[in-house]
Amino acid sequence: MKRRTTLVLTGVLAAALTVPALADNLEDSKAKFEEAVQSVMTTDNHLMMEEGITFDIPEAQGTAEELEELDDSNSAKWHYYEYIDWDESEDAEFPASPADGSIGKHVISIVHGAHAWTTCYMEAFEQACEAVGMTVDIYDPNWDQSVQDGYIDQAINEGPDAIAVIPLSADHARQQFKNITDAGIPAFCTNTTPAADAMNYILAYTGPNDWYQMRNLGAALGEKLGGKGGVAYITHNVGGSPYYARLYGPMTELADKYPDIKTLDIQSPGFEAAAVKQVVSDWITKFGDELNAIVLADDSDQAIGTAEAIEAAGRDDIIVVAAGISKQGAELIQAGKLYMASYQSCQADAGLCVRTIAQFFNGEEIPRVSYIKTDLINQENVESFLPCQW
Amino acid sequence: MSDQNKTVLSPKTDTRKTEVNKGILLFNRMGIWVITIALLILGTIIAAANGGHFFDKSNIQSILEAVALYGMVAAGLFYVTYSGNWTDMSIPLTMAMAGMLTVQSINLGFPVALLIGIATGLAIGMINGFMIGHLRANPIIWSWGFNLLLSGIIRVGWGGKQLYADTVAKQTDFAQHSAQTFYSISRTYIGGIISLMAIVMLCMFVLSYIIHAKTSFGQKLKLVGSNYEAARFSGINCQKIVMMGYMISSTFAAVGGIFYTALRKTASYENGTGYDFTCLTCVLLGGTLLSGGKGSVLGTFGGVLAYGILNNILSWIGIGTYTKYAVQGMVFLLIVFINTYTERKLGRS
Repeated sequence: MKRRTTLVLTGVLAAALTVPALADNLEDSKAKFEEAVQSVMTTDNHLMMEEGITFDIPEAQGTAEELEELDDSNSAKWHYYEYIDWDESEDAEFPASPADGSIGKHVISIVHGAHAWTTCYMEAFEQACEAVGMTVDIYDPNWDQSVQDGYIDQAINEGPDAIAVIPLSADHARQQFKNITDAGIPAFCTNTTPAADAMNYILAYTGPNDWYQMRNLGAALGEKLGGKGGVAYITHNVGGSPYYARLYGPMTELADKYPDIKTLDIQSPGFEAAAVKQVVSDWITKFGDELNAIVLADDSDQAIGTAEAIEAAGRDDIIVVAAGISKQGAELIQAGKLYMASYQSCQADAGLCVRTIAQFFNGEEIPRVSYIKTDLINQENVESFLPCQW
Repeated sequence: MSDQNKTVLSPKTDTRKTEVNKGILLFNRMGIWVITIALLILGTIIAAANGGHFFDKSNIQSILEAVALYGMVAAGLFYVTYSGNWTDMSIPLTMAMAGMLTVQSINLGFPVALLIGIATGLAIGMINGFMIGHLRANPIIWSWGFNLLLSGIIRVGWGGKQLYADTVAKQTDFAQHSAQTFYSISRTYIGGIISLMAIVMLCMFVLSYIIHAKTSFGQKLKLVGSNYEAARFSGINCQKIVMMGYMISSTFAAVGGIFYTALRKTASYENGTGYDFTCLTCVLLGGTLLSGGKGSVLGTFGGVLAYGILNNILSWIGIGTYTKYAVQGMVFLLIVFINTYTERKLGRS
């Protein structure tokens, strides 16, 4: 009897001490979060952990199968590519927020593969986690799907407080996030858009809105062209989400607003400057004066190859726009060889993900999908985006 | 001895076919050049059908520039394949490392940085050559492993970041001028017609041709590539010959890597990705046997040109990326088939 009384008293005492401690941790976490949002900056002097952009998904004009029948230049065709339009009624049972504060929480981040962008992203992720009192381990599968799957299993076994993943494949994402959510661990998807059905197992997605920024770029190009001319496209890697967004985003925007602008050709030579240079040189020879503008999926190697080909041909009348922004791209804008690039902050991408995770631990409501802010960069405003992040 | 006996004892007539089909011989001797000429004719027709001129200055310029970097590397890789060691899988990171060290040492001045970059290739070639030539390590496994090691060194050494010459260069006129000179080597046009990259590629092929055809090293390499043991018993220092082959290959790859880095204005561990297989394709298209001992520098040059001309023709036609891959694959397989078929018909394989 005496022993039981002692145990009960110990339990009550522990609870009495823990509850205020948890409450203190939550208050401290919220304060730290507010400070981080206001003070952590990207290397190009923008807020790293700003609130993301959210919007209501417009209604699709048909089923995915019906929309596939539409012409490529019809924006309605790409609804299910553009919006993560998942069925919420099929959502898995997500772990509830502990609402005890982000301080002391441990996160595992699994990226896609080694690249200078990824290095920049990882550093920003670590910086943002530190700012809100979380610790992080980052795993890099070096672009190998099976290695990424292995890291997800390993991360689940380690039992962190949350797992954030940049999925290597949109289609493969469903099983990855299902495994995490089934293990009772909060799953966050970042940067790369997952397939719609994967969203049923994702607590929140954060990342860039490629379609939106490329549509803006397309609109700006159409205006610069005066509503007429011929445009050729160099794409991202065929099949990935940036391929669709950076090709059909501007193409459909131009078709909607400027029907007199025609598509001359679409090529996917990859990201090697020499290969892109040959494609653009061949276009200049083949299309001559009909070629008025080029849309690029990348403002570094693709933009360099394009600028070199245009310069070699002495065609300074060709307008080039690209998704960005890299150091090479910024220099080309300054030199007047690249008319415009979209701004997609690598560090804000990491910052928004960490922000969302921290808000979850702080017991706040988090949006299922939120996007980082974007902008269009030209010769007039490029200085405010320097030095480039990677 | 009677006449009847004479008939019985007379030697039998050799009825085996010794005549060589002239077409097959022509294909075998001319090799890739037959295909290259056919592609040139095809290109002329297709360009004309599209209202253009295939032999237009800008189009020829485009073809040469597109293959310049591949050509620089293939001109050296030929020696590895010709020596009977298949290929050098460390080509990509040799190119990357040469670019990284050139940029990293840009403050010493452009000529010194350039020499450091080239010396990097030479050093990598010496290590590869020692392991594969002297210690007879498996050329694929070793060079692949070495590629991985170099990748790790670059990633750890520079923290996974890219290097920019103008950022690495100190804020002095001398250093910044060195950085700009470095960038300019891939953007210079001689007489406003032909790029420096294309000229360097042509010079490297000439140098490679002289080494192969006019030196005792070239003759010895043929023997080593054809039959290593026979060459060894003939008194040839096979280990040294193989090592020299690797040194030439890596040095040429380093030059390609330096131009590649200057073109994209960025030194990174990903520079040179894919060059191992593309350049090997060019070498094999040129008629060099993967098993070694047969092939020529001129053939490799033809392989490089065929690669560029085919890409150019496909752009003229305007077909999509997927179809392009399929056509490229078919043409390359056709060339390999012709090479193999004519070798067999001539009893050389």
